[in-house]
Amino acid sequence: MNVRRFSILITLVLLAAACGPGGTTGATGTPQPSGGAAASTLVWYADTSDLISLDPAVAYEFTGVLLAHNAYETLVKFEGADLSTVKPALAQSWDIKDSGSTWDVTFKLRSGAKFASGNPITADDVVYSFQRVLKLNKSPAFLFTDIAQIKDTSIKATDPSTVVISLPKTASPQGFLAVLTFTIGSVVDSKEVKAKESGGDSGSTYLLDHSLGSGAYVIDHWTKNSEVLLKANSQYGGSPKPALSGVLVKHVPESTNQQFALEKGDADIARNLGAQQIAALQGKQGVVTTTGNSLQLVYVGMNVTVKPLDNVNVREALRTAIDYDGIVKDLFKGGAKKVQDIVPAGLAGYNESTPFQADVNKAKSLLQQAGQTAITLELLVPTGPAPGGVAWADLAAKLQSDWKNIGVTVNIKQTTQADLLGTYRAQKGQLVMILWGPDFPDPDANVGPFTDYAAKSIAFRNGWDDKTIAAKGRDAALITDTAKRAAAYKDITDYVLHNGPYAVLYQPTEPFGLRSNVKGFAWSPMDWTDFAAISK
Amino acid sequence: MRFLGFLLRRVVGIAAVMIGVSVITFAISHLIPADPVAAALGDHATESQIAQFRAEYRLDRPLPEQYVIYVTGILHGDLGKSIRTRRSVAQDLADSFPATLELSFAALAIAILVGIPAGVWSAVFRGRLPDHVVRVASLVGGSIPVFWLGLILIGLGYYQLGWFPGGGRLDLFVAPPPSRTGLYVIDSVLSGDLEALRSSLAHLVLPALTLGYFSTAVIARMTRSSMLEVLGQDYIRTARAKGLHERLVVSRHGLRNALIPTVTIIGLTFGSLLSGAVLTETIFSWPGLGRYATASAVSLDFPAVLGVTLLAAVVYPVANLAVDIAYYWLDPRTQHG
Amino acid sequence: MVDPTVAALRMRPTGVARRGPLLANPLNLFAIVLIALFALGAVLAAIIAPYDPIVQALGSRLDPPSAAHWLGTDQLGRDIASRLLYGARISLFIGLVVVATAGLVGTAVGLVAGYAGGLVDEALMRFTEIFLAFPPLILAMAIAGALGPSLTNAIIAIAAVTWAVYARLVRGQLLSLRRREYVEAARSIGASGPRILLRHLLPNVLAPLLVQASFDMGAAIVAAAGLSFIGFGAQPPTPEWGVMISEGRNFISTQPWLSLFPGLAILLAVGAFNLLGDGLRDLFDPRLRRVG
Repeated sequence: MNVRRFSILITLVLLAAACGPGGTTGATGTPQPSGGAAASTLVWYADTSDLISLDPAVAYEFTGVLLAHNAYETLVKFEGADLSTVKPALAQSWDIKDSGSTWDVTFKLRSGAKFASGNPITADDVVYSFQRVLKLNKSPAFLFTDIAQIKDTSIKATDPSTVVISLPKTASPQGFLAVLTFTIGSVVDSKEVKAKESGGDSGSTYLLDHSLGSGAYVIDHWTKNSEVLLKANSQYGGSPKPALSGVLVKHVPESTNQQFALEKGDADIARNLGAQQIAALQGKQGVVTTTGNSLQLVYVGMNVTVKPLDNVNVREALRTAIDYDGIVKDLFKGGAKKVQDIVPAGLAGYNESTPFQADVNKAKSLLQQAGQTAITLELLVPTGPAPGGVAWADLAAKLQSDWKNIGVTVNIKQTTQADLLGTYRAQKGQLVMILWGPDFPDPDANVGPFTDYAAKSIAFRNGWDDKTIAAKGRDAALITDTAKRAAAYKDITDYVLHNGPYAVLYQPTEPFGLRSNVKGFAWSPMDWTDFAAISK
Repeated sequence: MRFLGFLLRRVVGIAAVMIGVSVITFAISHLIPADPVAAALGDHATESQIAQFRAEYRLDRPLPEQYVIYVTGILHGDLGKSIRTRRSVAQDLADSFPATLELSFAALAIAILVGIPAGVWSAVFRGRLPDHVVRVASLVGGSIPVFWLGLILIGLGYYQLGWFPGGGRLDLFVAPPPSRTGLYVIDSVLSGDLEALRSSLAHLVLPALTLGYFSTAVIARMTRSSMLEVLGQDYIRTARAKGLHERLVVSRHGLRNALIPTVTIIGLTFGSLLSGAVLTETIFSWPGLGRYATASAVSLDFPAVLGVTLLAAVVYPVANLAVDIAYYWLDPRTQHG
Repeated sequence: MVDPTVAALRMRPTGVARRGPLLANPLNLFAIVLIALFALGAVLAAIIAPYDPIVQALGSRLDPPSAAHWLGTDQLGRDIASRLLYGARISLFIGLVVVATAGLVGTAVGLVAGYAGGLVDEALMRFTEIFLAFPPLILAMAIAGALGPSLTNAIIAIAAVTWAVYARLVRGQLLSLRRREYVEAARSIGASGPRILLRHLLPNVLAPLLVQASFDMGAAIVAAAGLSFIGFGAQPPTPEWGVMISEGRNFISTQPWLSLFPGLAILLAVGAFNLLGDGLRDLFDPRLRRVG
């Protein structure tokens, strides 16, 4: 009798499952095989929780940008780690003319270029691609609207292979070229995208998980929360041609699991290993580790509207007390670069000087000069791991103990990064520890936010309204002569080093774990890589 | 007719509870000090983008109005749009729920298939070694932190021994079976895909063991104690006195009656499986509701948090109701209310 | 924060002869000794811990267990044994605060509902049911997520999912008591309502409350550890056991002791509370006499 009840229950349960959440394609993606043979597909393990959209006009988070970078081509590009020279990509040549009221940048497109669909790439595609960025007005759009200051009418196709873009005199043409190397400058297949438009979305819904570009790879499918598969584009006109026929990006947020999988050979590349995993992988059979440079900076912002941080000696004392070498050597085991200026290594304008290293006596005397000997402050810190793989909390604890040595009591308050940004933007932090990455590879992408109060960015969040340095920063952005520009930035960064409200801690290097048979992997400081160059 | 009345009362009760759940969760998510929008759009969002976003998610309206909009949406099956994924919450839930459902069923299956026999064994051999073993194992199961257990199992089972896969639902190059229920095991059986069946079962083992240990312990204890009660009853003594073989006594007379409370429990532990799933899914990279809930809570994505909470809060009463319906049909003598 | 369904389960006797004074049974003795050790360690942590639990000692990182560090050191050179002791203090604190808060709030609600009856009872019980419908960890995550990640908020969140069971328990006891004859009798000789409550209800309800509280002590510790593990509860460098497991999980292949020992600590502490709960329940259960 009860066995019957039991079996009826099981039947009910199975019935419920059978007609329950049935027929959802989202959970399984398109019903196609997940990839070719394992030998010709690169298996990339990463934490892809930031992936929101693959549409290059929308993607602004690391994973989205990495994937869009490989699925689309831009007019110009940087090659490898050299971020000072812009090279041709879809545009085989360009020139910049001063037309009096505007800078006119003329691009000539590479002849014979085709999209993955087979459609030829024309100037109209470029115009459409850029105009839809402005129309959609998503996260990366400010690069066009605020930095390049272009409008719909600024972009014109003068013939099927020529595009002219007019920038106002207040924008920097060099900066614009740098912006165009970013995924926002991707050229989409306008004919195909228009066919997929619905409800005025400029094809954004379709491009969220598909690609219509000319890059080395094509998006095959994106199974949410699980994986993205890219397949090699046989029509790819650039170089190098893709060596592997597929790239499988698997969502594996736990770095321990990434390490396990790498050792077992399930993963070819592990993206999010911490310093500990890297150390554990040394000498293991079949595995190598490598690093890539990044343009990020980790720093502490000091809110100058909060006493006694308004006193420059106090700020200098805080800077002087920190054990930077200890952080790099002990916490990061060398996996970070000691940088103390606001422009990272790899960009023009990088200032090598690192005058600060824990000097307790000097710091104490600075405090005495300021007449402040007993200071208590709150340090706002995000939860989770900092760039480079060390926990934010551990970094904070180190600073706390460094500052304790000079008599400054710092209370650590941890919040989620989302929460912290909210407080920081509202100028309500006292000391805030956070990271910054430039939006485009130009020194102004850092100098502007760090020096210009009116930009409502970092200087604003720390209440630092120094009109002189802000003006210097704006002027430096527009200098075209390379040598003059470098000198101007040296001047600015030296000033900020000792007077600004920042203590720059380090520039992280990104650690990667690879199977030893993986060749050709190179991580660009733009936070992406060209899958096409990788083979195994 | 009486059955309809009973059903109606229960459904109304569930609806009332859901309304309460929605109000409370709505209140929690909206009374937060931080602003999720600025966080969602990142560091470089312009004022116009933020305003556009707020309008899109109706965050510029007063709270009561937002709640009304939300509830009317639910009645149309619209749970709002996730701030983090920018997709409909209903779609996100539909994508992630089957994975959690499959994991929960697997854990439950283990709990039943191991827990009941263990409880019976333990009762029959009360006071002797099997009893002690089961009771210690049950105690450990009821006390062990599920995430720690998961770490140990994945460290041993995948890393050290290599017997089981290290996360996810399928092997890397195995395609999911055509979707009918979203549960890979069932779908692969339905479509005759042996490769997917083998792969999905292999991937289920470690997480189901992790998630199911607690429920196994609970069911074992339950079975044991009700078995003991039943075995002490008069009719058992009578059966023994009649000279019936002990095994018959246990299985035919004892077990059946002992199972009644156990079956009740099965429906009830389903709710606790959802809680455990949150932690288990994190460790095993399982793309289910638990992981979705964690990611949503971290990014202050309250439409998603609301959606998950509503869904989770409806599972337990519905599971309860299913069991009660089964009882009602089988035994009209059972009184409710 | 034991799942209310499971809580209902646990009210059944274990069916093992545990008659006689609580301490006579070896299992109960074992549980009490463990809990006493745990409490002692917690209270005396500052005195007996050989090292500071927070200060980093980057020179002696990731040392395996040795004479100098009985349980080894973690990735910042901190002595794990010392951190476990301080962690015991935190866990004890969590358990006591959660149970006290949830118990008080739940009992109050249950008393009001049971005594007032009628519409008030209906309304309060619906409210209680709502909280019982939430899967505990998910509601706790929502609350902790909304309030921000910290130990205090985790405690609030866990208490919020725990109180409802007490309300139901107390109300149930109150209702069954009201029907008892001696309450009628007491009333008939003019004893007042509250006095009846105090003298007759309290002793009867204390037993199941204590049993539930014992289980909830353990459940709260595990729940807090779980929240810390996913980042919603206590934060590093707090030496809370869940935080320690979370920090140690990156090292599990090479230095497993970082996560192993805190997990064992949780297992032992919670196990002890569960055993105690079992023992208390068997002690109070009159039905036990029958099951030989």
